[in-house]
Amino acid sequence: MALAETASPDGPIGPSTARLRPAALRQLSDTQAAWLLLTPLLLFFGVSVIYPVIETIRLSFFEIRGLAPPKFDGFGNYIRLFSDANFLNSMKVTLVWALTATFFSVLIGWGLAMLCSLNPQKTLVFRVMIFAAYGVSEAVSGFMWLGIYRPDYGLLNGILEAIGLTNLTQPWLGNPSTALGSVIVAYVWTQVGLPLMTCFASIQSIPKNLFEAAYIDGAKSGSVMRHIIAPLSMPGVRVAIFINLLNSLKAFDLIFMLTGGGPVRSTETVGFFMYRESMLNFKLGYGAASTVILLIAVLVVSIPLILKRTGDAK
Amino acid sequence: MIGRAPGWIVPLVGAFALIWIVPIVGLVVTSLRPISEIILGWWSLQEFTLTLDAWIVVWDKYPLAYAFWISTKIAVISTIIPMLLAPAAAYAFHFLKFRFRRLLLILIINAFVLPNQVVIIPLFRLWRELGLIDNIWSVIIPFAGLSFAWAVFLVKNYLEDFPNELIEAAQVDGCGPLARFFYIVLPNALTPIAAVGILQFMWTWNGLLLPVVFLRDELPLTALLARIQGVYDRNWDQVAVAAIITTIVPLMIFIVFQRYFTAGAQTKSGSKE
Repeated sequence: MALAETASPDGPIGPSTARLRPAALRQLSDTQAAWLLLTPLLLFFGVSVIYPVIETIRLSFFEIRGLAPPKFDGFGNYIRLFSDANFLNSMKVTLVWALTATFFSVLIGWGLAMLCSLNPQKTLVFRVMIFAAYGVSEAVSGFMWLGIYRPDYGLLNGILEAIGLTNLTQPWLGNPSTALGSVIVAYVWTQVGLPLMTCFASIQSIPKNLFEAAYIDGAKSGSVMRHIIAPLSMPGVRVAIFINLLNSLKAFDLIFMLTGGGPVRSTETVGFFMYRESMLNFKLGYGAASTVILLIAVLVVSIPLILKRTGDAK
Repeated sequence: MIGRAPGWIVPLVGAFALIWIVPIVGLVVTSLRPISEIILGWWSLQEFTLTLDAWIVVWDKYPLAYAFWISTKIAVISTIIPMLLAPAAAYAFHFLKFRFRRLLLILIINAFVLPNQVVIIPLFRLWRELGLIDNIWSVIIPFAGLSFAWAVFLVKNYLEDFPNELIEAAQVDGCGPLARFFYIVLPNALTPIAAVGILQFMWTWNGLLLPVVFLRDELPLTALLARIQGVYDRNWDQVAVAAIITTIVPLMIFIVFQRYFTAGAQTKSGSKE
């Protein structure tokens, strides 16, 4: 009986059921429909993004040392950060890290995508092999690359010895001048799959008659690549740059596994600086302020890109 | 099919791919050799013994099956949520006009740049007050919340190419904004939704930081892996086993569904034949 009552439009549930009847739904305005569709998402989003960000901004104005009660400090944390050589170093490392990693990931992925697109069937297995690295978690890849960079019996030093370049062997992750480069190589290894896929997809959507026309006109595959594939795969390249750049700014697990930010902070990104200050030194406010600066820096770079993509509704 | 490829392309890409999987081969080999040999490098050939010891030890010593179950629960639930909610939001942002539309869209997509570390301290305090620590929802909620940035971006990007005539026709026939979403847009946006699902599944399955901080006993595979690795003896063979078990599921999912991913990553490129 209860069931029948709930199903009946005139049941005791009243207005809320009535509002959900199809006839009523049809009369929803755009605004009502939009909020109906967005509310569940906004709930998740509010708890896990908006609230933590506001809380982080609030904390950044407090001086918090361990368990002592927080003390309001205005812009104190920010002023101290900009005279903290370690923080400035972490900004520099982050910049080098993000730009180099993105540049090489996208360049390699794009190049491979163009090569593969000339013979999609026979390169399918290879594409999957390269993309497989993208499915490996950063934690696991960290472990894999430790086996390559180990100073005593790592694969890299082993190869260098085998081909007679013994003087080049070194503790790759223990030497401040090679550590960052080594971690970037490992990171690029995990990331190339994404630009490979987006660029390849972009190339696949180029109209086939363009190629036919080019070949009929006697074009060689070299010039087809230069004049058709390269320029028309730009949408895929742009998406890849966007995603890879933002991902690299967030990278954490791999650095954590390989170097822990060392040696002598040569691989300490802002993310890692924040982790060290707030989780290890318990200076929550100071760590929060460093994140806020990173966020602002990233927003300045990404907002123009995003504004371009958020034009008016159709 | 573009064709007329010079013959050197396949061997070149093949060689590249073979080099690319060297670290993965290393992992498998490490899991199959005794620790006394791995210490000299997993690639050394002075002695070469294959053994399943590490697999048996890990299976006996650690709750792998349970961790596998936890990983599955977390990844599946955190994947379904954005698969349902992101298309709805992308539709609203792309086809409906309402106040704060642009502001909300910018807020949501910008969250893409938010490092995971930022949410940890505030959420940890919140979960502690709500008693959610060691509950898988403490991980699922931020996994879902943090995914919307790119998930909405991806689906909305796909909708850029959606034929406006279809929407207008439905409108003329008396379809309200919700009906247009459920009957017109949703059935035609399955590709980017599948792409969202695959990526989100891989990322949540592989996530380490959130589970390590929020969970104590209900550990998924990645957190268990970190715990095995944290043991202070040379147990690389065992770590390798755990790493393989952790990796196998996202890898399979990816290989099976990669064509959806390719299609989902397809971007507006002016190809309207």
